[in-house]
Amino acid sequence: MSSTINGAEPLLRAVGLSKHFPLESSLLATLRGAEAQTVKAVEAVSLDVTAGQTLAIVGESGSGKSTLGRLLLRLMQPTTGQVLYQGNNIFRMNRRELSAFRRQAQIILQDPYASLNPRMRVGRIIREPLDIYREGTVAERNKRVDALLERVGLNSAHARAYPSELSGGQRQRVGIAAALALSPEIIIADEPTSSLDVSVQAQTLNLLAELQRDFNLTYVFITHDLGVVQHFSDRVAVMYLGKIVEEAPTETLFAAPQHPYTQVLFSAIPLPDPSRRVNWDLPKGEPPSPLDPPPGCHFHPRCPKVMSNCSTIAPRLEATAPGQRVACLLYADGAN
Amino acid sequence: MSLLSLRHLTTEFYSGGRWLEAVSDVSFDLLPGEILGLVGESGCGKSTIAYSVMRLLASNARISGGEVWLGDVNLTDASEDALQDLRGSRLSMIFQDPMTALDSLFTVGHQVIETLQEHLALDPPAARERALDLLRQVGIPAAEERLKAYPYQFSGGMSQRIALAIAISCHPQVLIADEPTTALDVTIQAQILHLIRRLLVEEQGAGVLLITHDLGVVAQVCDRVAVMYAGKIVEFGAVDAIFRDPLHPYTQALLNSLPSQGIQRGALENIRGRVPSLDDRPTGCRFHPRCPHALAICREEAPPLLRRDGGQEVACVLYD
Ligand SMILES: Nc1ncnc2c1ncn2[C@@H]1O[C@H](COP(=O)(O)OP(=O)(O)OP(=O)(O)O)[C@@H](O)[C@H]1O
Ligand code: SF4
Ligand SMILES: [Mg+2]
Repeated sequence: MSSTINGAEPLLRAVGLSKHFPLESSLLATLRGAEAQTVKAVEAVSLDVTAGQTLAIVGESGSGKSTLGRLLLRLMQPTTGQVLYQGNNIFRMNRRELSAFRRQAQIILQDPYASLNPRMRVGRIIREPLDIYREGTVAERNKRVDALLERVGLNSAHARAYPSELSGGQRQRVGIAAALALSPEIIIADEPTSSLDVSVQAQTLNLLAELQRDFNLTYVFITHDLGVVQHFSDRVAVMYLGKIVEEAPTETLFAAPQHPYTQVLFSAIPLPDPSRRVNWDLPKGEPPSPLDPPPGCHFHPRCPKVMSNCSTIAPRLEATAPGQRVACLLYADGAN
Repeated sequence: MSLLSLRHLTTEFYSGGRWLEAVSDVSFDLLPGEILGLVGESGCGKSTIAYSVMRLLASNARISGGEVWLGDVNLTDASEDALQDLRGSRLSMIFQDPMTALDSLFTVGHQVIETLQEHLALDPPAARERALDLLRQVGIPAAEERLKAYPYQFSGGMSQRIALAIAISCHPQVLIADEPTTALDVTIQAQILHLIRRLLVEEQGAGVLLITHDLGVVAQVCDRVAVMYAGKIVEFGAVDAIFRDPLHPYTQALLNSLPSQGIQRGALENIRGRVPSLDDRPTGCRFHPRCPHALAICREEAPPLLRRDGGQEVACVLYD
């Protein structure tokens, strides 16, 4: 794994990050001396996020992408591994360091309906981070709220509204304004547009792109929408059952996906172009349960290119080209 | 020719002390062997059309105008008994949440077999054989064991396969599928849509009304499409033609707002403003407050859906 994929020191970096959730029923089993059963939601993930860029993390349900997003912000403790923010392990930070980190790293969540407190007016919701960090005087905070509302395409009248009085797109703007309140460096956006209609999604993506330009923001975009990924990100990491199976610059990945799972995933995306109809017979089987992932390469039971040793050897994520890493035995030879 | 005909269907909801039109004057025909897409943004009335056809509307809703014909049966004035017979035989529906169609108290086998016995008058062993056959057809491994399982033991994709098995079990002529894959992963979505096309359309010549908000799904699996805005169809025609040459300003804006292929990083087209709510529908063309081409007349007169030379239908004064 290279520390300088494109020369710059990464702003955020995960090193060997894993998160295993014990199963409740297995706690009892452990007491009785049996081996604890766990879900390996995230397994030995290493990746770099470059300042000012957008890294997309894609995968289907159960691939561990949201858990990874939460680990990157220390919203939960890892089982093993580190997350380095500007070189400091966020899980080792003292209170002061952590408080500084929490200002600089914000999150935007998928469901603007669920993530905003329904009993708070919009102005309070956006002001809350400023209140917590005691930024300026109350008058200054209120002025900042108005500026933020303006910035995300709302106006000061919206400050008095409750979330229930806003449309889905407007609520997502409130979530974005609140995330921006403390002028963060990095924003982790977990499916930020997947509950929005396409026209509202377009407005939201345009806004996020503008904000990135204006404030040199770094984004980690967690999504299953490959159209959004292609439009928005610089690099992409593809996850399958807790592991990164491929990582590459967006253009490279879309031009020539290498991992068979990436290829299957891409072939299953419904392209909005009837002149490019694809054979949808291709993806076979269901994703296996994360409780009991297949041995060897987790993808082997569904893989159209499976080989005899795929069920015994777990492939490592290795560079196949500059900036591109793939975890597949098909490429294991040329890798080193 | 047509399996299902909607003629001037208008459906209203009683809300806030008055009746509000959710679906206004909608007409189209569903043909044998086609998948007809019904697209539009949230709240435009897609599901209301589905429930109007099935006559499964909420208690505060009524069909206030128009007719729906299933062959020679007028569904809008059919008796509840007649409807019961039709639903699940000639006319079937699957939903976004497959659990809607499954009863959590009974095994999957029990439910599939019961449907078969009820509608096809099969004896128990024959119904069981047919059930196994159906589960295999929709791609459920170890079908024998699965018959004994309860719905909660299935993933979303598996449940939707079973709902599909039940829906196709009696060879319906018409399937209404309301966002059947919206809650599923893309690889599973691809499989389910493929099954619908193969098992229903290609093998049985049925007609499918596929409701979705995903233009990618429309482009990939539909033959024709109706684009809805605020309760009305604004454009209708062959998928190829509409994606190549969208006529209505709303269809154009919708297609341009999609993030994808090639258009990296450029700003996506915004449709200004927002979808009007039911109690606040604009006069004239309902799209006029958001339309970049609106003329003075657009505020006053509602343009009718008119057929043009190539067969594409559009409701917009620019094409009068
Ligand atoms: N039971 C009801 N009472 C009052 N209004 C309703 C009711 N059901 C639906 N509506 C309204 O009717 C309109 C059409 O709703 P419908 O569910 O048909 O839209 P849709 O196109 O299916 O949207 P979605 O894409 O979100 O599923 C909406 O404005 C909705 O709020
Ligand atoms: S009728 Fe007028 S407002 Fe409506 S879509 Fe056409 S040009 Fe625009
Ligand atoms: Mg609906």
